[in-house]
Amino acid sequence: MDNALTSSGMKKSFGRSLLYTLPMFLITFMFMTGGRPDFSRPASALAMVVTFLLVNILYFLMHYTGKTDKLRAILFIIFALSLSFTLINNMLETRNSMSFSQADILECKIPFCHLVIPMMILPAAFTNSIIFPGSIIGGFANIASMVVLWLVATLVLGRGFCSWGCFYGGWDDGFSRIRKKPAIKKISEIWKWMPFAVLIMVSLTAALSLIPTYCDWICPFKAVTEFEQVTSVESATKAVIFVSLFAGLVVVLPVLTRKRTQCSFLCPLGAINTVSNKVTPFTIKIDKKACTECFKCVEVCPLFALSTEGIKEGKVSVFCSKCGKCVDACSKNAIHFGIKGVPSGTMKNFSRNLFLFVSFLFMSVFSAGSIINSLQSLLNLIF
Amino acid sequence: MKKVKIIAGITWAFICLILIIILFPGLNSFSASAAKLPFMKINPNYSGGEVAQQLIATGCTLDIRKPVFDGLIKKRNKGFVQLDWRGNVPDKIVDTIDYDLDNKPDFCIFVDRDQSKTVLYPINSKVRDIIISTPTSYGWAVRVELIK
Repeated sequence: MDNALTSSGMKKSFGRSLLYTLPMFLITFMFMTGGRPDFSRPASALAMVVTFLLVNILYFLMHYTGKTDKLRAILFIIFALSLSFTLINNMLETRNSMSFSQADILECKIPFCHLVIPMMILPAAFTNSIIFPGSIIGGFANIASMVVLWLVATLVLGRGFCSWGCFYGGWDDGFSRIRKKPAIKKISEIWKWMPFAVLIMVSLTAALSLIPTYCDWICPFKAVTEFEQVTSVESATKAVIFVSLFAGLVVVLPVLTRKRTQCSFLCPLGAINTVSNKVTPFTIKIDKKACTECFKCVEVCPLFALSTEGIKEGKVSVFCSKCGKCVDACSKNAIHFGIKGVPSGTMKNFSRNLFLFVSFLFMSVFSAGSIINSLQSLLNLIF
Repeated sequence: MKKVKIIAGITWAFICLILIIILFPGLNSFSASAAKLPFMKINPNYSGGEVAQQLIATGCTLDIRKPVFDGLIKKRNKGFVQLDWRGNVPDKIVDTIDYDLDNKPDFCIFVDRDQSKTVLYPINSKVRDIIISTPTSYGWAVRVELIK
């Protein structure tokens, strides 16, 4: 019966959707409240209730409407915005500035983010140490917990981490949705290999200099998190580079191309996640019997993971982040969430339900803290 | 074979489901275990290195750390020594430092905290320049550039 699904086959009845949402409802309730909701502080309680409802309504709608991408993107973009808001708010409260000082570096107080991981590997192997001025354990965004979170997420989701877990991805995902049609349509696919070149370059330069060079010189997301105080020509050059990259790859190009250009052309962690896509059990499959080769999926893919040749052969490349955009765009339900080992065109509903539960649970729990914090800060500002 | 592949795929997917469910409740203990891994320590180029000497004056402690020359494979030619003044640090600091423990002074340092002015007087030819001189949450810190 699963094999004969039509384009609306992923939709479920209201009651059935509620039933599918129930486990998410219970687990997110436990994670957000610890089993004991605290209503003593109204702003915090309201922020928690709103986040809890947002997460569970989105998950319910994924089952009820049968659509994935737009509902995922809502939480994904809110996650990116709220994390930046929380970070900036925290920095302004503690330092009166978005920039960090030399003292913050000397005291190893810089919050760790997963983008440092590619540059950590070689120095960790050779020097038995981490080349980052952060805290190993304890404190905000410590190294040990961020490494564990990323390791499990990349093992389970592969490059799905880039669409379901990365708290930066929401920025270019959001900007890529602003225009209805792309102004630039033809982009050479060769650029999708660029993150591997960046990965090799930053891994080697970081190993030789023992400085996380991507964070130090390139990372565009410093524009929405924190950056080195501009005190010299060198720090001013760095500021010009990261602001230009943010404007170009995170704002302008995604708007013009409807593609996630920062994730596709620059991110070195995306390159590692592409490799771990080989390990994850979850994938996107093409049912060649149902496919009419309209190539709408190729057109909408934000990460250049699909090609006309690939579709003809029934293959999805390792660049896929399982965002679900192609699945939603296919009117024949020929492209679908799948599990490795399970033949394409079979167990479509089961595979989607299992993948959605795993990926959405990760995103909702990972994002909940920063969304609650941001809402709480906003409520405190308003009232 | 086809059935084996299907069962293996679905089993792996369910293991991943369990991993995600236990990830967040177990994060603190997983992180604590990860923190015990041998490479989970901050490189001395960032942490400043181990404290080699501690000089205690009234209400103020000066930590002189081990000189850091760490490179990827071998020691570098250029490095630094970090000095941390903690506690009730005076507005004007004047100290003579023997960082290599040879009982001979290597440099004198003067810090005017009010004017954020730091002056280095090298005695040993291996002492080059001030890299960083900054107020910290615990007092004041200075990194002095050294050569081998």
